Amino acid sequence: MGTQVKDVVLKPDAPNTLLLDKHADYIAAYGSKKDDYEYTLSEYLRMSGIYWGLTVMDLMGQLHRMNREEITTFIRACQHECGGVSASIGHDPHLLYTLSAVQILSLYNDLSVIDVNKVVEYVKGLQQEDGSFAGDKWGEIDTRFSFCAVATLALLGKLDAINVDRAVEFVLSCMNFDGGFGCRPGSESHAGQIYCCTGFLSITGQLHQVNADLLGWWLCERQLPSGGLNGRPEKLPDVCYSWWVLASLKIIGRIHWIDKSKLRSFILACQDEETGGFADRPGDMVDPFHTLFGIAGLSLLGDEQIKAVNPVFCMPEDVLQRIGLHPEILN
Amino acid sequence: MHGRVKLKSTAQQEEEKKKEREKKLKVYKAARDACFSKRKEGTMDVEALQLTQQLLSSNPDFATLWNYRREILLHQETVRAEEEVQKVYEEELSFLEGCLKVNPKSYGSWHHRGWVSSRIPGPTGAESWACATAAWRWTTETELQFTDRLIGSNFSNYSSWHYRSTLLPLLHPQAHERDPPSPSTHSHSVCEEQLLKEYELVQNAFFTDPNDQSAWFYYRWLLGRAEREEMISCVYVSREGERLIVAFSRPVNALSVGLLLVVDGQPLNVDWRSAHPRFRHSPVWICELPPGTISDSSNEHNLTVHWTQRHIHRDCALYTGRSESWCRDSATDQELFRSDLSVEKTSVLQSELQSCTQLLELEPQNKWCVLTIVLLMRALDPLGYERETLAHFETLKDVDSMRSSYYSDLCSKFMIENTILKMEYAEVRVFSLSGKKLTTLCHLDQLLLVTHINISSNQLQTLPPQFAMLQCLEVLEADDNVIESLYGLYHLPRLEEVSLKNNQISRISDLKPLTTCPKLTRLDLRGNPVTQTANLQSELAQLLPSVTDLLL
Repeated sequence: MGTQVKDVVLKPDAPNTLLLDKHADYIAAYGSKKDDYEYTLSEYLRMSGIYWGLTVMDLMGQLHRMNREEITTFIRACQHECGGVSASIGHDPHLLYTLSAVQILSLYNDLSVIDVNKVVEYVKGLQQEDGSFAGDKWGEIDTRFSFCAVATLALLGKLDAINVDRAVEFVLSCMNFDGGFGCRPGSESHAGQIYCCTGFLSITGQLHQVNADLLGWWLCERQLPSGGLNGRPEKLPDVCYSWWVLASLKIIGRIHWIDKSKLRSFILACQDEETGGFADRPGDMVDPFHTLFGIAGLSLLGDEQIKAVNPVFCMPEDVLQRIGLHPEILN
Repeated sequence: MHGRVKLKSTAQQEEEKKKEREKKLKVYKAARDACFSKRKEGTMDVEALQLTQQLLSSNPDFATLWNYRREILLHQETVRAEEEVQKVYEEELSFLEGCLKVNPKSYGSWHHRGWVSSRIPGPTGAESWACATAAWRWTTETELQFTDRLIGSNFSNYSSWHYRSTLLPLLHPQAHERDPPSPSTHSHSVCEEQLLKEYELVQNAFFTDPNDQSAWFYYRWLLGRAEREEMISCVYVSREGERLIVAFSRPVNALSVGLLLVVDGQPLNVDWRSAHPRFRHSPVWICELPPGTISDSSNEHNLTVHWTQRHIHRDCALYTGRSESWCRDSATDQELFRSDLSVEKTSVLQSELQSCTQLLELEPQNKWCVLTIVLLMRALDPLGYERETLAHFETLKDVDSMRSSYYSDLCSKFMIENTILKMEYAEVRVFSLSGKKLTTLCHLDQLLLVTHINISSNQLQTLPPQFAMLQCLEVLEADDNVIESLYGLYHLPRLEEVSLKNNQISRISDLKPLTTCPKLTRLDLRGNPVTQTANLQSELAQLLPSVTDLLL
């Protein structure tokens, strides 16, 4: 009995150069298909979708092609009386989309579109006694929401509105035997959750609490022979996990522990030469989510055609410079 | 969108698909709009439950609709009899089961399931609390047996090994711990007897399938659970500059942990700074005493640092005629870099090492096995096994080249640990680590007292900010590396000589940190790109006026 390594094989004719123009055209056209069935089905995450699209356009130097007026009007309409922001009109407010809205408005340097004080009150109100955060009033607890809370507040310069010490305590209580983090205490480590927790600890200046050597080992073991990274042991590689793992490694100062050129080849192979955009794996359907994380991953790998991306906020470095945010990164 | 394969299709197929999607879109939008308008009107009826069910079956991530369902269910609680409510919730659970079968990764469905379970009436109050406490141990044991079964049927099951790591410390805590740990305190200690059983189980796993990483990850956790106690590891005081330095066993923020300095019975108000401004948390903190406090060498002084939050303190006596003094635990005493293993366990580790060596004979290319052997050797006798360890690292870089930088860094760490141990045994303040292929520097807080360091002929790219923890350093030899930056040569009050021959220093601005080292007189920059700069001599004379012996 032997473990079969789950992986993909890159075809010799897979794309191996970066098709920037095609990706920009793909994203620019995406929002114009509003009457598309798939597009309508994803309405429940629209605000994050806009954040993915705008961020990847900004990283490619193409932000001007997006309809700023339409987007800011939409965001204003999505802020609720409680201060939270919903994914779309008619949907309920949630921390996930509140962060996306604040990220978009930070890209546009236009936070006055929403009532910032109310956003702060909303985030504050979702913190629980044990320091954790609920995603909305229905009380789902997850370290993802801890990240959303501190990232939102940091972008607004209001991190002191919450009990940071307690929030840190909760996130640390989700640390596992492998140095990774899960969504709640006792939950298994997962690259997406590790990204949220290392990002959280970076924003709150607590990265010294991470066992960087142990976690870095687990993370670099996510790289498969194809060069792609998976999110947990024994899973398939995926462009978005490439980002979660790579960004986490960057945050804890261990990005050189993976084979960068092999990862670059994998990410490039996930491009669609016809339509533009990136898929999770070579040959699959593309979407804006994987397109952002493909481009952002290539940026972290040092591609000079793309703007530098910040590994904690997944936003262009120049935007964070402008705001004056310098989240902690281990060396 | 995950795992959706792109299929080629003809124009006609495309056209048909388009029509079909338009039809679906119409139906979907109508249902969605109906839901939204019903909710706006405040309707909480069964029809609304049906409508949302229809939408959620195909799109379980539509969180707002789950919210609407919860509102309706809460309303039903108020208008229906208890048995009826129970039935409604049971139906809800079976609906959810269907959703989760189609989309097992939907956060929304799982959260709703948890919420529904919490609404189903059950035993309450003190009675249930007593039951819960009795049931806890039983459940946890059953759960552990459950992972036994899962691992028994397929060792390659990372989730099960993870689950064991959370259950074991609860069921078999280490004896010396006073309070039984709860999930919230998250202790990682496991009693020895159980540990031995775990070694056996995990060994079965990797002998069955030596390439199964799950078992190896778990094994590494079992091997190295030592957590260092929080303590003040060293207090150092120098008459020159009237400086006091405190080293902690782990990074702290001295500004918030309640540090109190008492000199000759008098509390002193001092400003603490970390070794480098980049660190808010650091194992090394420095303060300057008020002028005249300890400058007269004919006086004896007793200094005490109190860590008030932890009720810990450490004394340090500065005797007459002495220019400096320190008080600390030596690294050998603490067995700093080994796991906390008792003598009995050493024989166990020895037999573990034998098993792994046997496995390696069968599987000479197995990186997991090689790495584990290295870890076992370090736990047993780091200095004695040094040569073999180095050879194993060469194998690792060879068979797993994608991660060669990881192995290089890990090997560097082990070599630094060994050199610290050797230095401790020799009781010297000279640290020599040349020609060891070092790619990174670590444990620099352990080198607080070092006066001479030689790290020449390695592969170092930088002297990191942590290097500023070498507060007693006088001579630095770092020739023949690939050093580009000198962030760590920052406020080193005793640093006199720096040799950086044959490195990659390329700009004058890279030398800027040296301006903070007041005693620097000798600087060797031969063989660096920066020596090609025009007017270098005069520029450096201006930047580093204290340097009288400059080699370019």
